[in-house]
Amino acid sequence: MAAAIETKGLTKDYRSPLKEPGLWGGVKSLFDRQYKDTRAVDGVSFQIEEGELVGFLGANGAGKTTTLKMLSGLLTPTAGSATALGHVPWKRESDFQRSISLVMGQRSQLWWEIPAYETFKLNQAIYGLSEADFREHLDELVELLDLGEHLSVPVKKLSLGQRMRAELAAALLHRPRLLLLDEPTIGLDVIMQKKVREFVKVYNKRYGATIMLTSHNMTDVVELCKRVIVIEKGRLLYDGPLDRLVERYADHKILRARFTTPVDPADLKILGAVIKYEDSTITLEVPRAQMAASAAALLRSYPVADLNVEEVAIDDIVRRLFTHG
Amino acid sequence: MKTYWVAYQIALQETLQRRSTLIMDRLGGFAVVVSLYSFWIALIGNKATFLGYTRAEMLTYVLALNILRSFVFTGRGWQLVGEISTGKISSYLVRPLSYQGYALALDLAQKTVHVAAAFFEVGLLALLVRGGLFLPSDPATWILFGVAVLLSSLLFFFLEFMVSSLAFWTSESGGPLFCFELFLQFAAGAFFPLDVLPLALRRALEATPFPYMVYFPVRIFLEKVSPVEALRILGMEALWLAAVYAAAMTVWRRGVRSYAAEGG
Ligand SMILES: Nc1ncnc2c1ncn2[C@@H]1O[C@H](COP(=O)(O)OP(=O)(O)OP(=O)(O)O)[C@@H](O)[C@H]1O
Ligand SMILES: [Mg+2]
Repeated sequence: MAAAIETKGLTKDYRSPLKEPGLWGGVKSLFDRQYKDTRAVDGVSFQIEEGELVGFLGANGAGKTTTLKMLSGLLTPTAGSATALGHVPWKRESDFQRSISLVMGQRSQLWWEIPAYETFKLNQAIYGLSEADFREHLDELVELLDLGEHLSVPVKKLSLGQRMRAELAAALLHRPRLLLLDEPTIGLDVIMQKKVREFVKVYNKRYGATIMLTSHNMTDVVELCKRVIVIEKGRLLYDGPLDRLVERYADHKILRARFTTPVDPADLKILGAVIKYEDSTITLEVPRAQMAASAAALLRSYPVADLNVEEVAIDDIVRRLFTHG
Repeated sequence: MKTYWVAYQIALQETLQRRSTLIMDRLGGFAVVVSLYSFWIALIGNKATFLGYTRAEMLTYVLALNILRSFVFTGRGWQLVGEISTGKISSYLVRPLSYQGYALALDLAQKTVHVAAAFFEVGLLALLVRGGLFLPSDPATWILFGVAVLLSSLLFFFLEFMVSSLAFWTSESGGPLFCFELFLQFAAGAFFPLDVLPLALRRALEATPFPYMVYFPVRIFLEKVSPVEALRILGMEALWLAAVYAAAMTVWRRGVRSYAAEGG
């Protein structure tokens, strides 16, 4: 299988003019502009195979959007290289543009004052779809995204969730082989999130499309992505299966025990970190290696009615990864 | 090609959809025409001519202005400025589409609606003043005028496109465009015919592309220039158009490059 995306040392510095305060500063900067460089993406290398659905994670400002913009050809990198579907994205070749789509949750390509259907017709012309293909693709999208009557209403009258689905349909009408989704579920309620998620899954399966998805919503990641790439301050932090991320970063497990009579949680500190004590039930975070000993000690010395051991939830791991890098 | 035809149709639909904006635009333009007309009529008083214009010629100038405003001075500059500063421009840059072609198609749609409205208004006014317009009898004049106006509108489109593209660099993106439009209307002769200006100033303006947008076309229409002179004007206008087009494309390409370098 060929690589759909390959990056080597991809780096992006944003150069923004330093603005001095006041009128004098403004005049001065006209003649002698000072710039400040911010490194948004810092030597990132990865490879994504065709048909993969990869989660692209990182805290706010980590460089996710910047990376997706480079991969879609909107930004030229400061250093490093990338190919997507065999093209250098920022050359913006029409062959390449015909095979990709970039969807940004906070941006819209739809015409505001008129029904979404008109934007679809425009995209049909832009991407050169035959009438038959257009019909077929559209019908399918309408069904999958449950768009129905929403297409004949001016876009400004749609709810956020309805608009987002119309947005996806507009972006996928030409059946791109590479789909870059930047926070596609942002601002949607739980049911809409689920709908969008299911759609992404089906699109990936049915057409073998390569999808790279960013989200701050852990459910999106857990339900969709086997593989995740994590960046932090522009640097690649982790690239691999989601499960392994859990093993690697979750050096703790959760031990939960219910007692027949109340105990003093302070006494249990030696067994692990107390997270919660409530209704005679204790929740402890215990290092993996110490788990067996702690569980045994608990059973030996306390009136345990029920006991279980769990993995730390994925959201927690990822959250922790972000908070202390 | 089909893309631009579809874009034209959609834009037509959108322009008609935003009826209140359209009506406000028309009322504003109409008010300008009526005030210019009253102003000139007051100046002419009961003299036969004023600064070389008869009453009928002046009236024709003002009414032609209304049509020219609708056909020439309707670019997509403000839209481009807005799309650059909000970043919506990105959604075009990732699609296989020529933005200029697209903007031109949208502009054409806008012109269609506005020119239709302008003809209606002018017809109404002409009825009110019971004729008294200067209408050339030589069909060649009409043809020359038509070509001049066509070139004018492209000239304006690309000039405005070039100035709007500056939004790729400046953060106060509307500023240059606003100044430009104000100066342009003055320099093009959209407030008064340029030959009422002192000779030196007029000469200076004639060395710029601006008078080709209103002043010269109307002079052709009023048969104030000989056919040979008219052809020379058209030639000059075509040269200006070629130069402005090249400059606009250069600015645009650089703008897109800087956008790609500095972030969208
Ligand atoms: N146009 C720009 N000019 C200057 N700096 C920018 C620009 N766009 C982004 N940055 C900076 O680059 C860094 C990475 O931004 P980016 O938008 O890629 O982050 P992100 O991972 O998408 O974050 P979020 O989760 O908040 O969307 C941030 O520090 C941001 O401030
Ligand atoms: Mg982002």
